Amino acid sequence: MQAIKRGLRAVFQRIEAAFEGAFGARLNPLTQLGTLGWYLFWIVTVSGIYVYFFFDTGVTQAWESLDRLSRDQWWLGGIMRSLHRYASDAMVVVIVLHATREFAMDRMRGNRWFPWVTGIPLLWFLYACGITGYWLVWDQLAQYVAVATTEWLDTIGIFAEPIARNFVASNRLSGRFFTLMAYIHIAVPLLMLLFMWVHIQRHAHARVNPPRALGVGTLLGLVALSLLHPAMSQAPADLDRVPFSLGFDWFYLGVYPLLEHMDGGTLWQLLVGGSLFMTLLPWMPPLRKAPPAAVDLANCNGCARCFADCPFGAIDMVQRTDGLKYEQQALVYDNLCMSCGICVGACPTATPFRRTGNLSAGIELPDRSIAGLRDQVASAGAALAGTERVMIFACAHDAGSRDLAAADTVVISLPCVGMLPPSFMDFVLSRHHADGVLISGCAGQDCFERLGDQWTEQRIANQRDPHLRDRVSRDRVAVCWQNPTRPGGLRESLKQFRSHLREGDTAPRRAGSSAWRSLPRGLPLPLKWAGQGVAYAALVACIGFLATRPAYSNLPEGQALLKLSFTHAGEPLKPCRHFTHEELGKMKFRDRSATSCERGRWPVYVELDLDGKALYRGEHQPAGLWDDGPSSVYRRFEIPAGRHRLDIRLRDDGSSSGFDYHDSREVTIAPGENFVVDFRGTGGGFLFGRAGRPVDAAAKP
Amino acid sequence: MTLLQWRDDFRVGIDEVDHEHQELIGLINDLHAALGTERAGERVEEFLGEIFARISAHFALEEKVMQARRYDESAGHKADHERLLDDLRDLMDAQAEGSQLDDEAFSARLGAWFGRHFQTQDARLHRFLVR
Repeated sequence: MQAIKRGLRAVFQRIEAAFEGAFGARLNPLTQLGTLGWYLFWIVTVSGIYVYFFFDTGVTQAWESLDRLSRDQWWLGGIMRSLHRYASDAMVVVIVLHATREFAMDRMRGNRWFPWVTGIPLLWFLYACGITGYWLVWDQLAQYVAVATTEWLDTIGIFAEPIARNFVASNRLSGRFFTLMAYIHIAVPLLMLLFMWVHIQRHAHARVNPPRALGVGTLLGLVALSLLHPAMSQAPADLDRVPFSLGFDWFYLGVYPLLEHMDGGTLWQLLVGGSLFMTLLPWMPPLRKAPPAAVDLANCNGCARCFADCPFGAIDMVQRTDGLKYEQQALVYDNLCMSCGICVGACPTATPFRRTGNLSAGIELPDRSIAGLRDQVASAGAALAGTERVMIFACAHDAGSRDLAAADTVVISLPCVGMLPPSFMDFVLSRHHADGVLISGCAGQDCFERLGDQWTEQRIANQRDPHLRDRVSRDRVAVCWQNPTRPGGLRESLKQFRSHLREGDTAPRRAGSSAWRSLPRGLPLPLKWAGQGVAYAALVACIGFLATRPAYSNLPEGQALLKLSFTHAGEPLKPCRHFTHEELGKMKFRDRSATSCERGRWPVYVELDLDGKALYRGEHQPAGLWDDGPSSVYRRFEIPAGRHRLDIRLRDDGSSSGFDYHDSREVTIAPGENFVVDFRGTGGGFLFGRAGRPVDAAAKP
Repeated sequence: MTLLQWRDDFRVGIDEVDHEHQELIGLINDLHAALGTERAGERVEEFLGEIFARISAHFALEEKVMQARRYDESAGHKADHERLLDDLRDLMDAQAEGSQLDDEAFSARLGAWFGRHFQTQDARLHRFLVR
């Protein structure tokens, strides 16, 4: 598992480095997967609402209304419909990548189990949305989805009567069914939105909007795809026929072909088991849990800066408990704390200038005390030699600053660079422990502790308290957010920083300006744009292709389907007993009833032969808790088209031999036909073949 | 001799702020007292660091209150805080570089700042908060 994780991480980091070249750190789509998910959700919502205005719920009207929208109003309705489909597909891409990436980066430990675990139902909801959406169109793909989904749901065994029987013939389908489907297709996204909200509850300052340029680029890409390759319906559904070949959305329906190779129950077990396994991942070894931050009330006046900066909502401001005349104090929820130390970096008392007594900040990491950090800075500074001595403060995930230690360079590790209070930078420089401070953290916009890089930048730029005092020259404070696969970039940054220090303050930077950084050595602008264009084009091309291709064939040419489908109640286990007059007279008044019936029924046994050979033998238990309901049969057989002889026999009274009903028929079944054998117990017997036209189509004159 | 004396008209009207003002005055008076003693240099550096940290924390708290109550003059008030902290940092650097702290000059600077700050900025904040 660790090897998989490491491998995935290396892959992601390499791809991200490439994307950073084209998009820059701020717009890197791979660090914006979550926000892109939100953004696509809104695109799908808006386009869905628009399409819904024009959607008719009816067996034939559904298809017709959407087809009309796509053709007559291609310039808006058609685009909206295509956006609805393609943005949904993009959501699958983005969300699956998002989950995979968080796994690869190991960002589901500790407190982060919460977004991880609440993300798993989101995947289920996403698929439920997509599948019900395809269903609503009521074209051939919808027909496939309807039949395959209901057959699959029936394998759970919770329905008294197989729900796949609703789709066995066109006359069984009613327009009300589309109302139900539309309702589900609206309710599930609402539920999804609720879970999306819950998903980000434990993240302070959670980002839900991508940077504007990225949002615009994504939307333009999807609109371009919608114009070039509009989403259209396939031929209208016809339950009497089975399509040989389907344009298939592999994003949403990718698991369906597995049903050809395994039974539905096994697939359910795989999916549910997989989800449970994913749910347990945050607690899989190796578990590493550093002790949580601890508040030192003697040094806490309740200023709430740690509360404002904690990325995980692990700090709360509560009523004072120690009797001092302050209103509030900070409180750390141990189970939420990720031990990143960003709160320490925000604490105004975490300053190394203090010497009185034991230096202790208002909030401290037990494993990494401020006093210890000050001593380390002092002794490391004393050991430095040279004219441009640099002290690097590095986090555990940076681009390998540990290899940079030299006579004139010292590296001090922190859980996150956000742990470094700005007064430490002041301390290092004003007390001449070094000539420059370099802060080396995670890749741009991808802080492992979420906000460490952001807060560090803002504190240095005097945009956030505690800020770096204006007296400190920003020429001597550098930041480097380098992708971990590019240690050379960090080395180069250090080299440039050192030569910048050597040249002195030739052009002193304005007080309060941001930290020094080496110029990004990215691509020239036209190439960057070309790179972004290629990335968008690749995404939409992939979506446009996989949304309909490769075509899926669920029935080989020349074959047909034979479905045995009926519901029939077996005979009661015992005949009802009619009480005589005398018997009734002996009964208490309230118990008097002319007959007494036992509730149980016999199972229904059925045999079907095709061309004289046994095709099916099966005993079907009555439904219901008391075994008093009807028995249901739903079986699907793939047979060659052509002329066949069918023999069917049925027994419903529990006898060991002989049959209560039987029939035999010579039939001609066309290729791709959906041939149904039905049964009506009272006055009908066996029914063969197509059963008629759709109900509400027939109702219309 | 004490450098600063707490007066009732220093009150801002927020218990925690007033409480911390008194603590700070005590700390500054301790420093003032230490200035006259032997080994003053070492102890003064400690005191200054401590005062710097305490005042930073105190200002953080006061700024939180101003923000929470949407104080209209908070920018100017905060700028005054920053001026004092810069002054203090200058003193700390001077002390660290070895120059002896001039007792009178120091007293005058801190005393003047607190006196002025209490009477102008904090008094205005007080009027705003009790309004």
